[in-house]
Amino acid sequence: MSEDVVVTNALTKRFGELVAVSSLDLKIPRGVVYGLIGPNGSGKTTAIKVMNGLLRSTSGSARLLGEEVPVKEVIHRIGYMPQEMAIYTDLTVHENLELFAGMYSMSRSAFEGAEKDLLEIIDLAERRDSLVATLSGGMKHRVSLACALVHDPELVFLDEPTVGVDPELRKGFWDYFAGLKRAGKTVVLTTHYMDEAVRCDIVGMMRLGEMIAEGTPDSLMKAAGATTLEDAFLANAKEADE
Amino acid sequence: MNGHRMLAVARKTLRSLRHDRRTAGFLILMPLFMIAIFGYTFGGDLKDVEVAVMNLDIGGSNGSVADTIIAEISSGDTLRLIFLSDDHPDPLSAAEGVVRDADAWAAVVFGQNFTAEVEEGIAAMRQGLPVASCHVMVLMDGSNPNIAQAVMAEVTTAVQRVLVTEYGLYPPMVVLQEMVYGEEAEFIDFFAPGVMGLAAMMVTLMLSIISFVHERTNGTLDRLLTTPVTEGEIVGGYALAFGLVALIQSTVILLAAVILFRVEIVGSPLLLLLTIFLLGIGSQGLGFILSSNAKNEFQAVQFMPLILFPSILLAGVFWPLEAVPELLRPVSSFIPLTYAVDACRSIMIRGWGLGEVWPQLLILAGIAAVLLTLSAYSLKKRR
Repeated sequence: MSEDVVVTNALTKRFGELVAVSSLDLKIPRGVVYGLIGPNGSGKTTAIKVMNGLLRSTSGSARLLGEEVPVKEVIHRIGYMPQEMAIYTDLTVHENLELFAGMYSMSRSAFEGAEKDLLEIIDLAERRDSLVATLSGGMKHRVSLACALVHDPELVFLDEPTVGVDPELRKGFWDYFAGLKRAGKTVVLTTHYMDEAVRCDIVGMMRLGEMIAEGTPDSLMKAAGATTLEDAFLANAKEADE
Repeated sequence: MNGHRMLAVARKTLRSLRHDRRTAGFLILMPLFMIAIFGYTFGGDLKDVEVAVMNLDIGGSNGSVADTIIAEISSGDTLRLIFLSDDHPDPLSAAEGVVRDADAWAAVVFGQNFTAEVEEGIAAMRQGLPVASCHVMVLMDGSNPNIAQAVMAEVTTAVQRVLVTEYGLYPPMVVLQEMVYGEEAEFIDFFAPGVMGLAAMMVTLMLSIISFVHERTNGTLDRLLTTPVTEGEIVGGYALAFGLVALIQSTVILLAAVILFRVEIVGSPLLLLLTIFLLGIGSQGLGFILSSNAKNEFQAVQFMPLILFPSILLAGVFWPLEAVPELLRPVSSFIPLTYAVDACRSIMIRGWGLGEVWPQLLILAGIAAVLLTLSAYSLKKRR
């Protein structure tokens, strides 16, 4: 039995009257790709922000790599890519990567190796010295992903990593996530694309701040008698309403 | 505190400025523009102030004393004399009319018997008899105190010179002035240190406010805070970067002041730069705090006049603190620029070293430490 790298207990986040995340219980084992799926406003991003210490939970708790959130000791082993671009558009691709590598105190040689690999994965090796402001939306998104991965984290949170990425490159991303998994790393991501969520090992379906179903994509589709994850989600949402 | 991460934040901040050529150009040209505009506006002495002369003096056997005084005034270039015709039923009213119509800043009127009265007075003085002073009338437009002061000084000096050169009348009592500091100092020497501090403060404050709001609205600040970097390291990195920007600006101002206006730096330029660096990092901390609750750049810059106006008016940039009304003087002691200007002025004009200006530097360092700590705390509060 592998250890759980993400554990939340009744994690709740309220904004005034609005319950953005309600009593979320998660146990994500090491070495999986875990997908949080759900429509806008379902609480996916809020849950990830609370886990990354950007928002304080209203109640409940969360542990990452065995340490209570907000983490300090294990922070350098975690990567985070927010939904918004959140990279420096007035710096070059290389300078952004170097900045985030600097935040993790990476050695120059380790950074140079990581940068070379990541630029190939995000297909921006030729734009290494371009200002991010001059890149297309999809390219910026890829730079943002690379910034989250530059320090080779063992647990990485990716909020909508494939938005604005063309299908061919999206496939490349998923192959890369599979590679991370094989290397024993854990990827927690959110996505709108139900078709790509089937590539996750475990999927958590969120709706109105609550987890309405969780399991492998096959088990979720089977339980709902559906042929697609989208249909499975709709069936679970209907059941939750009833 | 990890120095490596702090330097990474500083490098990032400087790189952003380097890529933004317009802002980088502004950072260099703005202080240059400031010192040039202030230097050329305030640095020069008054010249060619138009003053009307109504000379009614009929003179004496040795000529006219009024003519001698007028010649003395004309030998300088401060006043440009406009001679009024004495062919007027009421010459005094005519002279006053010229001032009232703002055709001249002042009118100097010499009476008909001016020479005779002067000579009578001098004769009486030499015989030890009581002297009835005669007078030179100056009708003044006092709407500009600087000009009024200059006109009176020119006329008074000319009168005294004529008494000495023409009649050998030396005053029995004189005030001897010996300069301890600033023997060659001009007005620009007084305000160049002030402009230098003001430019450093303005730019670091503005850069800090805008950069910080930008970081927050773009989400980059939140993202940085999910990495091992601490709030203190982010604030420290920014302080280093903007402190360096303030240093570059001060160097530009100093060079321009020395080259264009021949301002003399008696003390250590390095100590000057240290003073500006401390002011710069303090201003950066203040900028962070001011913008911590602003939702966008526009809201953030609304605070700037609240800081800038008191700093310009109450920190001794253009006039001494003694000219600040007593009621407002306590405010001056809360403005970091006050200490920076005082220290820079003492270093540049008096040639003071660390042994003399340490109290100001200590206060500036203390203010910077408090403001940077508070700004790091304001980042912590966001979590």
